[in-house]
Amino acid sequence: MGSKRVGQTQTINRKMIWTIGGGKGGSGKSFITANIGICLSKLGVRVVLIDADLGGANLHTFLGVSPPALSLPDFIKKRVSHLREVLIPTGIPNLQLLTGAQDLLNAADAKSVQKRKLVRSIQSLDSDTILVDLGAGNSLSVLDFFLMSDGGILVVTPEPTSIENTYRFLKSAFYRRLKQSVSSSSVKALIDGAMDRKNEMGIQNPHDLIKAARRMDEGDADRIIEEVETFHPNLILNQVRSKKDIEIGFSIRSACLKYFGIHLHYLGYVVYDQDVNNSIRRRRPLVLENSRSRAAQCVMEIASKLANHH
Amino acid sequence: MKGIKDQTYYEILEVSPTATAKEIQRAYEHAKETFHTDSLAVYSLFSEEEVKEIQSVIEEAYRVLMDETLRKSYDQSHFQTVGGQPLEKPYEAQGVSKEQKASLSFTGLLFNPEEGLSRGKTLKQVRERMGVELPTISEETRISIKILEWIEEEAFEKLPALVYLKGFLKSYAQSLGLDPQKVIEEYIRLMGESKKK
Repeated sequence: MGSKRVGQTQTINRKMIWTIGGGKGGSGKSFITANIGICLSKLGVRVVLIDADLGGANLHTFLGVSPPALSLPDFIKKRVSHLREVLIPTGIPNLQLLTGAQDLLNAADAKSVQKRKLVRSIQSLDSDTILVDLGAGNSLSVLDFFLMSDGGILVVTPEPTSIENTYRFLKSAFYRRLKQSVSSSSVKALIDGAMDRKNEMGIQNPHDLIKAARRMDEGDADRIIEEVETFHPNLILNQVRSKKDIEIGFSIRSACLKYFGIHLHYLGYVVYDQDVNNSIRRRRPLVLENSRSRAAQCVMEIASKLANHH
Repeated sequence: MKGIKDQTYYEILEVSPTATAKEIQRAYEHAKETFHTDSLAVYSLFSEEEVKEIQSVIEEAYRVLMDETLRKSYDQSHFQTVGGQPLEKPYEAQGVSKEQKASLSFTGLLFNPEEGLSRGKTLKQVRERMGVELPTISEETRISIKILEWIEEEAFEKLPALVYLKGFLKSYAQSLGLDPQKVIEEYIRLMGESKKK
């Protein structure tokens, strides 16, 4: 988020903010966030994990930490003066936790000024990487956080419902990004209309949208194209059971290229592994409990890719 | 970004204009899998008509790019070389070539999807389209030409024991850029069916 332009454009920053979202509840976002965070911290990266899951914030459970006494609202309501005072130690070197961010996403009065202020406070934290667990929601606040981050990561399982929800999330994020980039109110209205496939304007896909936008405003059409070209969300496929499942990740990538014109980055996959369930039940992170398990190896591989962004 | 109709065959298959036959074969299989009617990755994003349209462009792209002569004339109509770098033709020129594309009708050269890619004769077709002779495959895989011929002819009674055959199929599939596991499974299944008959 240190770059001038907001959102999803890979820039060489000192600090990277990754958001993990999309899919549906149970696709493994919190598991992946917690375990990637631990892997990064083991690589010497200073990490802060932020729990912003509206559906059920329990990132602390994945880390084996008790429900924290201090959380983000304590900072927002000025009970503490600096955000770092509400960071929870996890017992793991280089790894801290911030909970309660969902309250801000949930609040109807969470104005963009307030959100940006929070982002600035987050940026000022003494860390190298920040991982935000957004949960499965796709409210405007969630979408904005996803778009404002340096890298948005979608966690999806190879099941129709999970893929459907991920596409729904991606579509919402995509059109919101486009809408934020254009200036003409008629093009903004066009983008709103395009989200509904049964729209009267006959816009079936982003390509049709660009054609229609060009008829209204050349400059806005160019801006849309630029946004499409610079939007690079990431994908992690979780709970894969076969080679065919792994291939679905590549197919999603190709489908996104054909439909949205965006280059989705397939970060990697995590195999289905009973050890994952066992570790969650014991409230012991997999990469610490059973680092040799197949799923842990997959997570480590993904974490090392994220570490290379520093 | 371009709509499906405006994309070059290389863009449709997501390969570079300098892709080898092996790369095109691999890309085609991936594209076919991705835009398969039952594919989880597309049904909630594209309408049925859009999927059908993409499927037919994929087949057309494959047919043209795997045929040396057709590919050359396609390249000539779509790219012009400036300083050795292939460039896209200006918009007006693309309009002309689109008409040419439309005249390229479906021919019997395409594979029957029901048959899969692992029949002996389809392996042979893939190899021939890539312009590779059996001796080259034999040299690359160290499988005797005779055995490669028997595989292609589906001369099941002459083929070696299953354990060896699997190894041969794996090497042969890899040399053609095909998914070895799929080729082995389907070929063995075909053998089983033939025995039952």
